[in-house]
Amino acid sequence: MHKILLVEDNEMNRDMLTRRLQRQGFEVVCAVDGPSGVKAAAEERPDLILMDVALGEMDGWEATQLIKAAPAAADIPVIALTAHALASDRQKSIEIGCAEFETKPVDLTRLLKKITACLAHRDTGQMGAGAEDAGANAATLCATA
Amino acid sequence: MINRFQPSLRRLNQLVDWFIPAELAADRESCKQARMFLFSHLFGPFVGNTVPAAVYLVDPNPTYDVAVLAISITAFWVFPFALRRFGHYNLLVLISVQNLIFCILWSCYFYGGVSSPTVSWVLTIPLLAFFYIGPHSSLRLTVLGLFAINVIAFIIVYQMNPLAGKELPAISMQVLGIISTTATAVYVTMMAIYYAKTLASGSEIESEMKRHLATAAELRRATAEAERAGVAKSEFLAKTSHELRTPLNAIIGYSEMLLEDAAANGDDELLVLDLKRINTAGQQLLRLINAILDLSKIEAGKMELVNETADVSEVVIKTAESCRELIEKYQNTLVLELAQDLGSIFCDTAKLEHVITQLLRNAAKFTADGHVTISAKRRVCSPNDEIDITIRDTGIGIAPEAMPVLFEFGVAEDTSATKYGGTGLGLALSQRLCRLMGGALMAQSEAGLGSCFTIRLPTQPPAAAARSAPDDPGFPESNDARALSVAA
Repeated sequence: MHKILLVEDNEMNRDMLTRRLQRQGFEVVCAVDGPSGVKAAAEERPDLILMDVALGEMDGWEATQLIKAAPAAADIPVIALTAHALASDRQKSIEIGCAEFETKPVDLTRLLKKITACLAHRDTGQMGAGAEDAGANAATLCATA
Repeated sequence: MINRFQPSLRRLNQLVDWFIPAELAADRESCKQARMFLFSHLFGPFVGNTVPAAVYLVDPNPTYDVAVLAISITAFWVFPFALRRFGHYNLLVLISVQNLIFCILWSCYFYGGVSSPTVSWVLTIPLLAFFYIGPHSSLRLTVLGLFAINVIAFIIVYQMNPLAGKELPAISMQVLGIISTTATAVYVTMMAIYYAKTLASGSEIESEMKRHLATAAELRRATAEAERAGVAKSEFLAKTSHELRTPLNAIIGYSEMLLEDAAANGDDELLVLDLKRINTAGQQLLRLINAILDLSKIEAGKMELVNETADVSEVVIKTAESCRELIEKYQNTLVLELAQDLGSIFCDTAKLEHVITQLLRNAAKFTADGHVTISAKRRVCSPNDEIDITIRDTGIGIAPEAMPVLFEFGVAEDTSATKYGGTGLGLALSQRLCRLMGGALMAQSEAGLGSCFTIRLPTQPPAAAARSAPDDPGFPESNDARALSVAA
């Protein structure tokens, strides 16, 4: 069973997404803000992180950067969740090393496709080449997959 | 000082201006000269008549000459009325100067000749001529000529008949001299002050200009303020829309979850129907909020385009199919008419799809038992070809009076809003999106027969607006369509 870390500050969104992902057969752990998300990423070692961008003091991008900076969790693919589909948001997500980008409200079918693609890449990627630059590589492979 | 005189000067000018004919009043310079002319003619005789009065008093045997002088001086009062009645300013100036010269030489002739105590008045001739006629050099020459002729005539007459001059006692001549010189001084001073005031009214123009500049600055400030308010409004809308979306996410998400549950448990149909209604209403509200958000983004200049190359037929077919259910709900037939040579377009396909969807939804909403036709063709033109995507329906159409405000947010559809719902937001947003992409949205309609909307987009966005997203196949778009086009 794949473990997903959901970093989301809104309680309802967190509860909803958690339950819906659980129904799809994922194990879901949650974090309510940036710092606890970074901590959970290192401790729980999830297979994938869903990161809300609009968090409190430390936003999702900052948290992602910290996660990518720590060797313990640098290889975990991160899917950024943002409210608007801005080109600048997308660009920023790439620069920071997110594997994917999804707009809210979440279209579950679409999100599941992306999760599956990223996990598939991760599973194959770990067997093959190193995962130092997981971000950019994951993105490339996700698309071609 | 100036302020203290300002109201009286204004009243004085009002009096003086009453005599100025419209054609003189129109030109600022002529008006100024006419004012000098009128001022000297209205008030000059008061000062001037002190001379015949003094003569009458000092002369033991006053004769007709005093009366002639007094009448000539008083005759200056006729000039303002003549000006108001007949105009002919320059002619009146010459006659007036002639009358002045006559008065002076007349008094000189009778009292002391060239050594007359009234000879000081000669000074006023060039002064007044200068005041009255300004920079007209030919008129000035005429005045000087006039003066010369008069002096010559005077000398001739004086030589021929010097005895006409009266011999007054020395003391009388002295008194007359003092009075005459004082009167001249008063008169010249009076004219000089008035001239200075008139000049100062030149600074009136300056202050008027300053006022205009101040007004302009005020307007600029107000415009900036309005722009700031516009930005603030857009930001407020963006923030509010964002805040509204969060609870809406929950409504849509939970109702979807419950629908999944209901499907899994085989719950009764009525419950499923209610849940679907909640979900549909939530989706509808989300579309509205997104439209407001997009509109405010466009108005704040923050809407970004994510351009990519896409197959036109593919985009049209996919979008039309996604609306098929809605169109067929009211027994309408969806017709696709796609030209063979459509080719590809480089644009923000998500936004194009949004516009097409909006127009198809409108067509579906306002048509029953009819046809909704979507057609697309390529127009060959320079520098880039254009794609026309037309959505035509056989619905209720749009009333002619609604056409001019069709794309104005909050105005369009108002009349039919109660019956059909809608805020006019969709069309306003669609039009702005088309413009943002370098194209246009055009509408044609005949009430009762149907409507026809045409999206016209260049196959390449205009150079200035071309800000294509980096062609990065490593990052699939968040949108399904893009994901598909990448996979294809």
